[in-house]
Amino acid sequence: MNKYAIPTLKEEIEDATVDAVLSLDVDKYKYGFESHFETDKAPKGLSEDTVRFISAKKGEPEWMLAWRLDAYRRWLTLTEPTWAKVHYPPIDYQDMYYYAAPKSAQKPKSLDEVDPALLEMYEKLGVPLKERELLAGVEQPRVAVDAVIDSVSVATTFRAELNKQGIIFCSIAEAIREYPELVRQYLGTVVPVSDNFYATLNSAVFTDGSFCYIPKGVRCPMELSTYFRINEAKTGQFERTLLIADEGSYVSYLEGCTAPSRAENQLHAAVVELVALKDAEIKYSTVQNWFPGDKDGKGGVYNFVTKRGDCRGENSKISWTQVETGSAITWKYPSCILRGDNSRGEFYSIAISNGYQQVDSGTKMIHLGKNTSSRIISKGIAAGFSDNTYRGQVSAHARATNARNFTQCDSLLIGDKCGAHTVPYIESRNASAVFEHEATTSKISDDQMFYCQQRGLSEEEAVALIVNGFVRDVLQHLPMEFMVETQKLISISLEGSVG
Amino acid sequence: MSAGPVLKLTEAETTLVAQLGARGAAAEAERLLGAGLPTRRVEAYHYTDLRQLLRSVPVLAEAGPATQGPLSIPGAVALSITNARVGPIPTLAQGLHGQKGQGGVLAQRDDVLVRLNSALAGEHLALEVKGAVTVPVVIDRRIEGAASHAAGAVKLFVADHASLTLIEVFSGSDAAHVGNHATAITLGKGANLTHITLNVMGPTATHFATNEYHLGAAAHLRTLVVQAGGALSRTQLFPTYEGEGATAAITGLNLVGDGQHVDLTMDALHAVPHTASKPLFKTIARGRSRAVVQGRLVVARNAQKTDAKLMAQGLMLSDEAEILTKPELEIYADDVVCGHGSTCGRLDEDHLFYLMSRGISKSVAETMLVRGFLAELIDPITDETVAALLHTLIDSWLER
Amino acid sequence: MTTTPMLEIRNLHARIEDREILKGVNLIVPKGEVHAIMGRNGSGKSTLSYVLAGREDYEVTEGEVLLDGVNILEMEPAERAVAGLFLAFQYPIEIPGVATMTFLKAALNAQRKGRGEAEISTPDFMRAVKTAGEKLNVDSDMLKRALNVGFSGGEKKRAEILQMALLAPKMCVLDETDSGLDIDALKVVSEGVNALRGPDRAMLVITHYQRLLDHIVPDVVHVFSDGRVVESGPKELALELEAKGYAGFDGEKAA
Repeated sequence: MNKYAIPTLKEEIEDATVDAVLSLDVDKYKYGFESHFETDKAPKGLSEDTVRFISAKKGEPEWMLAWRLDAYRRWLTLTEPTWAKVHYPPIDYQDMYYYAAPKSAQKPKSLDEVDPALLEMYEKLGVPLKERELLAGVEQPRVAVDAVIDSVSVATTFRAELNKQGIIFCSIAEAIREYPELVRQYLGTVVPVSDNFYATLNSAVFTDGSFCYIPKGVRCPMELSTYFRINEAKTGQFERTLLIADEGSYVSYLEGCTAPSRAENQLHAAVVELVALKDAEIKYSTVQNWFPGDKDGKGGVYNFVTKRGDCRGENSKISWTQVETGSAITWKYPSCILRGDNSRGEFYSIAISNGYQQVDSGTKMIHLGKNTSSRIISKGIAAGFSDNTYRGQVSAHARATNARNFTQCDSLLIGDKCGAHTVPYIESRNASAVFEHEATTSKISDDQMFYCQQRGLSEEEAVALIVNGFVRDVLQHLPMEFMVETQKLISISLEGSVG
Repeated sequence: MSAGPVLKLTEAETTLVAQLGARGAAAEAERLLGAGLPTRRVEAYHYTDLRQLLRSVPVLAEAGPATQGPLSIPGAVALSITNARVGPIPTLAQGLHGQKGQGGVLAQRDDVLVRLNSALAGEHLALEVKGAVTVPVVIDRRIEGAASHAAGAVKLFVADHASLTLIEVFSGSDAAHVGNHATAITLGKGANLTHITLNVMGPTATHFATNEYHLGAAAHLRTLVVQAGGALSRTQLFPTYEGEGATAAITGLNLVGDGQHVDLTMDALHAVPHTASKPLFKTIARGRSRAVVQGRLVVARNAQKTDAKLMAQGLMLSDEAEILTKPELEIYADDVVCGHGSTCGRLDEDHLFYLMSRGISKSVAETMLVRGFLAELIDPITDETVAALLHTLIDSWLER
Repeated sequence: MTTTPMLEIRNLHARIEDREILKGVNLIVPKGEVHAIMGRNGSGKSTLSYVLAGREDYEVTEGEVLLDGVNILEMEPAERAVAGLFLAFQYPIEIPGVATMTFLKAALNAQRKGRGEAEISTPDFMRAVKTAGEKLNVDSDMLKRALNVGFSGGEKKRAEILQMALLAPKMCVLDETDSGLDIDALKVVSEGVNALRGPDRAMLVITHYQRLLDHIVPDVVHVFSDGRVVESGPKELALELEAKGYAGFDGEKAA
């Protein structure tokens, strides 16, 4: 056969068992606890009945059920995408639960009614769910949180205060009931029902997620945040987030994700849709730390997510910042459709893979309007036995006069059992478009390591320091409260990567 | 699960299946019957959807008399392959040996053009070089007569420490030919080869070429692929760096005009430690046209100290042109310096202004800048007669 | 006293996109004189040089620019160069792939052609370049390289002055020629410029610092602020500026 064969994943696993020296301690996943509270589940498997069950549970209007059923029927005709550089055994979509809700969390009127076990879990996660504490702490930045556990939004904070400015921030289930005209106007307009296999699945079975509307001219006074948590075993999580920034408004949105350590794989197929109207700006930051699997590559979350923003109006701006450290497999391309003239899209990404993680992530910048600009900074770090791929598309439509893109994607390899890959698609259909793309792959130089160690840093400290320097261009785009957390997360994620 | 509906063959596919059958390549015919020609879903053909683009395939080429190509180099060794048949081999210069061989020349690869060529190439020209050969060798690869489908092949072995300049000129009568050509080259230790291919096919022709390179230790390769002809063209470059110290400057130039779809695809494998490559691909697109540049650098697990940097640059001279670029890095070794860069745009306004501020007219300034854009590709060609030929070819394209 | 000035700028207004940068510039540079324009960063000095040379991004909304009595505002950049205007760029443009020698010859011949003169013969051209190059420490190696690519700051400025010597313009505009130069390079460049002073040529030296004017001594100094000339005087004005700073010359705008 091919004498230069690139080792396949399976061969690598065999290699791994032989190579006992590299005993990776991915088990240190600090969010890997499981909370115990009663849940209410749909029957296992996926069918029209499942879709109807979910819709009924949510007390949805008829149009929403019809929308879901349409998605379900389209999903049956689609096949899973195979172009990503990730490998996993076939997923049995009938062997999982599509709805699991904490029983006591059906309709909490206030935080006091929320299951104490839940609050305890969020405390462990460091999620500031209790308004009281936040209000008391003078210096603490205020963050309004919508917490989604398994399939249901359990609590949304600061609603009254946000309401005063006309900002709507609630669970999507509630939005469907309370603000149906807004939801109908925007849902599925950025990520169409049959956009791709996972998005279509999500459209059929999404159970909850966050909804946010910022009215004209309003600058959201605090960070909005959603924390996602998969808790239940064998449960897929399909949240749907819809965020609309009306003309001249601004919002910064944070998203955090964790899941317990489990031996089997959990599917997470979320859809996030952002709409920025004229002169509006949305900043969307994610720290994704789903369970990445254990040191032998068992378990972990399959994170197959569709995130897309539509710069619909002139001078609008959408900025994605992501820190991806978790998940067994990440398949995720937060994108911008630059429709409005002079609109701008940004993508800042740090993707760290260790152990047997596989990352295929990047962005799409679709330039449709005139004078649109985009900027992509991607920093991929591969360690252990992982594969880390940047995949990005930049395209200028024939009408996109003076479109500009700058892309920089850098990969860092730590150890010689991992892989780092870069796959950009650069499509120019307008002569006045100017695209610049640069990619590099390197390792931490011996000189850098020696210098740090000579100054007294341990090998791991030196790696963490150098990696933090490597990702600095992206880090500075994160909101303050995420920045510190992220630096710690980087160190944790890379533990065991040297030696 | 995968027992989907049976593929409805296109006209081109039907013809190809029949031609494969007629040549006794039943397995290949069967495969094509099942999979069809690649669509954009096949990553390697993402921007060149052959199922869409290759509408029909003419009859397999009949043997005909060897003819002269449109470009000639004074003093060069002249060889020819016409309608996939090896022409007469004259007495060759010292150190050169040539003969006719049977069958195709390419190594097995999961690629439809490679498969088709290997199944359909009845014979090939086999060349061997020993020592330093100073006169360039020109192979005229022609398709003559009415529209036909030709799968020709050349095999070149450059012995240890030998050196050569090889030029292949692809041309033909003005008909809707489909040429699917193969060139397989092996460079021994310390061998040095300059390989230039010029596609000057007629405006309705389809031109496919696959160049496979195996580089031994300390071998050095320079390639320049110029694609100026054909309605649909795709040249594939498959270099494999097999010996330590092997280096290559893989370069290419797409001159794409109205109505053309031109694809230049490289898939390189750095298989051993200490090899270096600097692929450089340039495209000038004008009219309503589409240019595709794909370049993948794969660095195998043990290929430490690989130094590879790919650059793709596009110059758009029209608003109806498209330049689609997909550079790729696939890196499995950690101690490497690898990268790629890509730029695409018009002539730089600052450059134009600077030249004009010195009194140079706009049109002259534009031509100067276009030539400047191409200089990096042509300047390294040291053989003056070859360089002159390239300048002529480029100038005539620019003036067209 | 009725000689036509080499350069006359009358009430020149120019803007880029919606921003007005030149707000009524008036300036006269007689033949044979060297004038300096001094002003703080962002005062519009460089814009003035670009507008004179005819850069497209700037829109002239009002006013006239007369070069030796001829209005040049309707001319293309190349036509202005042929008419005798030369701009030594603050940041000379790097053009990969175009050899400096090729460029020099193309420019020289384009200008000769524009003036109805015959093309220069290659030996004459080589001789002219060599002579001009020697004075400026520009060796043949530099001339073989692509235009300004990989040149040091000093090399770029010397190459600009070399072009000026070769093209023999009537009106030289030197935009921040001293930026990025150490003292030795500054001397070489200044000597090159001074050698080109003459009764049929005028120069406009745009600079931020007084130090360049120690080497290229101007006949008149103009102070530029907020898009116009706010003060003119003898060369001592430069020293005054250096001592007091620009604040005193900002007129009503001074904070």
